[in-house]
Amino acid sequence: MRRGLFTLGMVVLLAAPTLAACEVGESTAPAGKKEITFLVFETPNLTPQYWDAAIKRVTDKHPEISVKKLVSPDQDRTTYAKQLLTSGQFPDVMIAVSPAGFAEGGNLYAWTPDELKDFEFPTNGAIKGKVYQLPANTQTIPVVYYNKALFTKAGITGEPKTYAELQQAAAKLKAAGITPFVTAGVHDSIGPLWAGILGTELYAKNPNWMHDRRAGKVKFCDAEFKAGAAKLADLAKQGYLDAKDVSKDYAAGQQAFLDGKGAMYAMGNWLAGELDKPDSKLEVGQFTWPSDDGKLVVPAFTGGGLLVSAKAKNLDAARTFALGFQLDKGNLDNSAKADGLFPAIKGYTPPTDVGPDYKLGYDLYAKGVAEKAVVPAFGFEAGDDGMLPGVTAKWDSSAVDLVTGKKTPDQVCAFLDAEWAKAAA
Amino acid sequence: MGEGGRLSMSEADLPRRTRRPEIGRRVWHFLSFGGPGTAAYACFVLAPILISLGYSLTNYNPFRGDTDFVGLANYRVLLTDEEFLTSLKVTTILTAIVVIVPNALGLAVAVLLDRRGWVFNALRTVFFVPVVLSSVVVSVIWTRLLDNDGLINQALRGLGVDEPPGWLSDPDYALYSLGGILSWQMLGFCVVIYLAGLQHVPQELIEAASIDGAGPFRRFWRITWPLLAPALTINTVILLISAFKIFDHVQIITRGGPGTGTTATIAYNVLQTGFIANRQGFASAMAIIMLIIIAAASAIVLKLLQRREVDL
Repeated sequence: MRRGLFTLGMVVLLAAPTLAACEVGESTAPAGKKEITFLVFETPNLTPQYWDAAIKRVTDKHPEISVKKLVSPDQDRTTYAKQLLTSGQFPDVMIAVSPAGFAEGGNLYAWTPDELKDFEFPTNGAIKGKVYQLPANTQTIPVVYYNKALFTKAGITGEPKTYAELQQAAAKLKAAGITPFVTAGVHDSIGPLWAGILGTELYAKNPNWMHDRRAGKVKFCDAEFKAGAAKLADLAKQGYLDAKDVSKDYAAGQQAFLDGKGAMYAMGNWLAGELDKPDSKLEVGQFTWPSDDGKLVVPAFTGGGLLVSAKAKNLDAARTFALGFQLDKGNLDNSAKADGLFPAIKGYTPPTDVGPDYKLGYDLYAKGVAEKAVVPAFGFEAGDDGMLPGVTAKWDSSAVDLVTGKKTPDQVCAFLDAEWAKAAA
Repeated sequence: MGEGGRLSMSEADLPRRTRRPEIGRRVWHFLSFGGPGTAAYACFVLAPILISLGYSLTNYNPFRGDTDFVGLANYRVLLTDEEFLTSLKVTTILTAIVVIVPNALGLAVAVLLDRRGWVFNALRTVFFVPVVLSSVVVSVIWTRLLDNDGLINQALRGLGVDEPPGWLSDPDYALYSLGGILSWQMLGFCVVIYLAGLQHVPQELIEAASIDGAGPFRRFWRITWPLLAPALTINTVILLISAFKIFDHVQIITRGGPGTGTTATIAYNVLQTGFIANRQGFASAMAIIMLIIIAAASAIVLKLLQRREVDL
């Protein structure tokens, strides 16, 4: 009887995933074409249609290239790229994958100065002096987007200029029964909020902080970082963030703001792509994360472009495609409209028909550039400017620990220093 | 064999003449029937385990050129590594939930459904549906249900609960929510196994006990429950193995959170350490320890539960 039951158990267990599984077929390149694989990721702004159109624009110009699109199963395309690399399926071309680790292992093609001549910041994100990711666009991380109607309802008449004013506004919103800040529990949701705090608390005082951390000159347990951790914890403690939001993913966090479930949303400027959609009715204002003294600080990251595998079977085709994709005016315009990006290409100006939210964000960034107030966006840096591999994920989870009260700022700082030591070992 | 145990010449020679072809035939049978399976097992199960064992003795990082043999250093570090010990605790709690809850509820449901009729057949199908659903589908469904604004909290608010729990966002609840989801999905599996076990319980024993005056509870406890021992063994061992290596639900529902390590199982930690921190030697050591724990726990549970099995 036992053997019979065991057989039944195994059959049931094996049949279940088999029934649920589906098979993915493989495509082959048409005769005479050079096929390359291209890893992309999808978001509410970057839809399958967006990617297909962008790819087609390049292949129309280069008909000898055939592109097989790979879609990351979630927004963490860097981890997916690592899985593909270790299973011998590293894509030929990737977008917005962090080059850290891949580059040091000799897996990425290093762009030549001549290939980078069209980029405004050609050395951004360099790793040991070499650029592996095309520094294609600038993103301000974060911009504080606010729901004008909810501000009015709470009796807030102006945009907060200092951190104290931000707290006063949050208190008024809370008193009016409105959640002051919307967030979610993943890197691209809670990261921008903490990047805003650390931009004013840390990078505004020491723009080289991360390089100093790599050199062992500063630590997470030093006063500047700890003050930033304490501010985040305090926002949650005051009830200005809803700790329950940390179970949300990126799309749900964004939707909560669009649905008016909270007044402010500290987010990368890519949100403008959503706000400027024709069917969007939400009236939104923008301001940069305020510092204690009201001095302008604009955290931003330039990079995020395409990377090419050094071992691509058709390396020339991969390079041609990547540069063609990145410098195509139509693609740049669409990335500005759909994802709110500020293309960092020499001589590029955004199209005149961009939406008002994009324009407002672009003006804020331009003001930051004019006032030399641009600092790195903590947690979103790349290459030698960023954290060691694996530590960014701990920084993300630490943000959630602070918001839920699971850890104190002291515990978080000690934890991050310990994780840094592990990553460096 | 000849009379009186003496072999005649022709009989004694017969086995000797046929032994070689007999052995050859057996080898051929083994190779033709068992060979492909053995080769597949060796390639896809044994070899990866041995390769992982090899990696676990190194500081292998695919993004660094130099890999050194470090002996048992990874294992020594793991014994004091807070992150690993937390994931071991998380996995143990999840496993306890997943072994106990579906087993207990599955038995109750199986007893209720052990009747004839289309209603009971339909109910069996209903209970079994979650088993055939992809873990991704189950995870997405429950993420939506347990969200702060999800159906469950909306219902609770409707019932007058002002502050319903943060099922997936509160570190005090998230692990148990995850355990509940896994239990829900595995319940149907236990029901099927227990139903099969119940159908093997001889009715004449039940009837004899009834005639002797035994009530329903006594009949169940004295006859049905002991005869369900094999089903309990199968359910427990399979649930134990499934729960100990759980990864996909964690990845989709909580991503190991909320926060650091709240619901991070060993399997989740292996992936994070291997593919995010790139410490694949260290991650391999974790995987080997996980394998040893699963094998040891399964063997012990199997041995203990088999003791109470009875054959009719």
